[in-house]
Formats: sequence, structure tokens, C-alpha cells
Amino acid sequence: MKSTNSLLEKLDPRTKIVSFLSIILCMILTPITRIRDFGLYFLLILAIGFFSKITPGQILKKICILIPFVLFIAMFVPFIKEGNVCWSLEISNWKIDITYEGVWTFFNIIVKSTLSIFLLVIATSTTTFPDFLKGLDMLRVPRLLVMLMSFMYRYIFVLIDEARKLMRARSLRYFGSRHKEQFRAMGYMIGVLFIRTFERAERIYSAMIIRGFSGEILSVKRFRFSSMDILFMVGIIVSLVCIVSGLVNKIEHIRVSGAHLWQGL
Amino acid sequence: MARIIKVSDLNYRYPDGTTGLKDVSFEVEEGETLVIIGANGTGKSTLFMNLMGILDGDGHIEVMGLLLNKINLKDIRRGMGMVFQNPDDQLFCPTVMDDVSFGPLNLGLNADQVTEASQKALALVDLQGYESRTSYHLSFGEKKRAAIATVLSMNPRILLLDEPTSGLDPRSISKFINILYTLKSQGKTLLIVTHDLFLTQEIADRVLVFSEEKKPVAVGDYKEILNNYDLLLKNNLVHQHRHRHDEVVHEHEHRHGYIHKH
Repeated sequence: MKSTNSLLEKLDPRTKIVSFLSIILCMILTPITRIRDFGLYFLLILAIGFFSKITPGQILKKICILIPFVLFIAMFVPFIKEGNVCWSLEISNWKIDITYEGVWTFFNIIVKSTLSIFLLVIATSTTTFPDFLKGLDMLRVPRLLVMLMSFMYRYIFVLIDEARKLMRARSLRYFGSRHKEQFRAMGYMIGVLFIRTFERAERIYSAMIIRGFSGEILSVKRFRFSSMDILFMVGIIVSLVCIVSGLVNKIEHIRVSGAHLWQGL
Repeated sequence: MARIIKVSDLNYRYPDGTTGLKDVSFEVEEGETLVIIGANGTGKSTLFMNLMGILDGDGHIEVMGLLLNKINLKDIRRGMGMVFQNPDDQLFCPTVMDDVSFGPLNLGLNADQVTEASQKALALVDLQGYESRTSYHLSFGEKKRAAIATVLSMNPRILLLDEPTSGLDPRSISKFINILYTLKSQGKTLLIVTHDLFLTQEIADRVLVFSEEKKPVAVGDYKEILNNYDLLLKNNLVHQHRHRHDEVVHEHEHRHGYIHKH
């Protein structure tokens, strides 16, 4: 993570975790038919993005990496979901129907996922993974889960390296034998990787208990809530309450001197 | 000098029945550097695991005047640290600082004391400024030094180093030896497992030789041991080395790491 020295980067990770999860939760629970609300969510996330000092190009680049996965999952929904048919295609005995309900569900997945990914990109660009883990630990997320995530973060690349070495060793001695043999070799490799991982886990555990481990990973880094954290959290909560309660819509209908408030503004 | 480690009649068998250690007995004085040499698979690392109480062999182990048993284990581990051969086994936290502060935090020191001890340890191994770095992204030499820092931050009286120079390039080895000299000058007791005779010559006060029968066969002054070619040859620590000088080919014993002239 490149340091941007932004306001968001300085916030306590707990503030970010709670705020961002609240936004995602509210978005998930908002029906897709309330399109205007999603516009407001987008503006809220855009404002957060502004405070993160990440360039739109960086955000778009990361979003573009993740969106194809969502698209791949969602693209079949309009054809599967039953309901009122809005478009139909017949090819000999095959009939493909696209339903209104399916299209709405497709939009539901795409809009909510895109906004959530947007928020995720901002979160990962302004919080280091170790800080994120410490935030989770301080929020009383089960310690075992946090430790598992921590070990995964530390050792995933070590394991990938080991797997690569095994693959390389296999490919250097592979001269195009039958596929069945290759599957067998792959099975051996998975077995070897499992045994090595197991043995490594034992050595790591030994290294931990030697240094006094008693079930809890302590950290010297301490986080403290600042006035900025409180201000940020209050801002997010107020914004969400306004969006979810429809207060923004109600304000729009208030008439001032015969004209809508928005028009007055 | 006072005796700080005493091992008598230590035997260990692995769960599959293979002998790990056989009749191991030796003593170490406080502030001494004992280098344990032996070929691969002679039980040197198994001995360290027994000294740290990770493996439970039969015999008598006394560390800092305390008998190694469940009651004294915590106190022994407070005063004796071990650096594993593979630094990836030692560095399990997301950042270097987390790893170095892991031990002192578990000792119950407060945040300021932990930070001070960690910074001191990192300075000793020349890794200042690496605090927030991810261990995975360090070079092998840096990982080795960080692994030492994880133990030094606990300020142990005794340090067990398992193959500390394996996999290091010559410059890193030289840096490492400097660190060991510093530790030695601070009065730390060092136990080093290696088959690097160059390191042995550089740092050892005394040498303990392990045979392929998993037991010590000789102990003594480093000069005396390193000059005993028959002993080293018998225990697979030197080998017949072949040379060709134009048309003449000849063989002689060769000790790894030694610069020798013909």
C-alpha cells in the first residue's frame, strides 16, 4: 500500500471497518427499485474517495480487475430468474427468455457489487493488512479467525513459492507423457505440499511457544480514537440515516414559498 | 566462569522409533561459545529442540541452575532463545516489528519497554527502518538477521543458533559473524549448530563433535578439534578433495570454508 498521507489513512482501522461495513449493509438492504438512494450512496462513497486522496484512475483500475468476476456471475441471472418475459429468443427447439425480474436482479447484483468494490478499493488503499487485522482483533472478532487471516497473509506467498518450485521440478522432467500420469504427478505434488505445510506449521508453533505464546498474539501498536474518527463516524451514520429513512426524499418535497426546496437552493 | 548448561545421558527417539540422540552429555560455561559440529542428520537440531523443551527426551538437562521440566520451562525460555535454521519458521507475524516485539510482549513488558527492546535488537542486527516491512519481502540475509532480532529483543542469557550461516552469501556471513562477535562481547552464551568449519574457526571457544551415531564423540578447544583431521574425516566433516595441476591430479583432505594453498 502506497502512503497517501490522507485523512482516511490516519483514521483508526476500527472506524473504517465499522463505517464501511455499515454502508455495505445499508446498500445490501436497500431495494434496487430505490434508484435515487443508490445515487446518494454513490455520492457518499465518492466523498469518502475524495478524502482518501486516491486518484480516480487508480480506483477505476482496481475496480476493472474485480468487476469481470461479478459480471460473469450475474450475466446468467436474467435468463434463469422466472417472471414476466420482456424479451424472448427461439432457436429451433431452444427458447431463451429474459424476464423483468431477472433484469432487476442483474442490476441489483451489479450496482451493489460495484459500489461495494469501490468502497473496498478505498479501504485497502488506505489501510495496511496488519492494521486491518489489529482493527478486527480490537473489535472482538474471534481471535482464532484473526490469527488464521494473519497466518494466511504471511504464508500464502511462501506456499505459492513452494508450489511453484514443485511445478518447476515437474516441468523439467516432463516430456509429454500421458495425461493420466500427469494427474498422478499432480496428486503427489499436492500431497507433498500438504506434508511440507504441516511440518512448517509445527515448526512455526515451536517458534511461537519458545517465545512465550499463550494463545494470544499481542501487539505493541496501539490505536486510539481521535476527534477525527468520531467526526467521520458521525458523518457516515447521519448520511446513512438520511438515505435509509428517505429523509432526502422528504426534504425534496418540502415547499418553500410555493417552490420545491431543491429549486429554492 | 559458572556452569550455565548441563546435559547428562540425554537420549531421544522419534515417534517412528528412529534414534534422535544417544547418550549425550556435555556442559557449557556462562559466556562461552560452544559450536556443535556434525554431518547432516546427526541430531544437532534435535538436541536444541530438547534443550528448549519442545522435544521431550530421557535424561537430565539443567539450564541456568534450573532443571528442565514443566514447572521451570517458562523461566528457562525467558533466559534462553533459539533461532531456527529457516527464518520463515521464525518470522510468522505480518510485519518485522510485530515479530521482534512478540517475545517481549509475551514476557509481560509494557509498550515502552517493548518498543525500546525491539528497537535495540533491530539496531544490533542493522535492521533499523525495517519495522513496518513485511517479512516475506526481505532478502534471505535480512530474514536471518530479523530472526536473530526476534530472540535478542527478549534479552536472553543463552542463544541457540541452528545453522546460522546456511544459505548466506559471503558478505552476509561476514555481517553475521560481526553480530555474533558483538553478542559474545556482551557476555552472551552462544550454542551454535553448524557444519561450517570456517564459522567454527572464527567464533568457537570450544567444539563438540557429533557422530553419525547421534552422539558426541569429542569435545575440546577449537584448535585442537579443527586440527584433528582423522576425527573430522571420520565424522564426515572433511572429505577427499581432488585437484588437477596441469597433468598432475592429487587428492587430500579438505575442510569446507578453509582457504588453502598448494
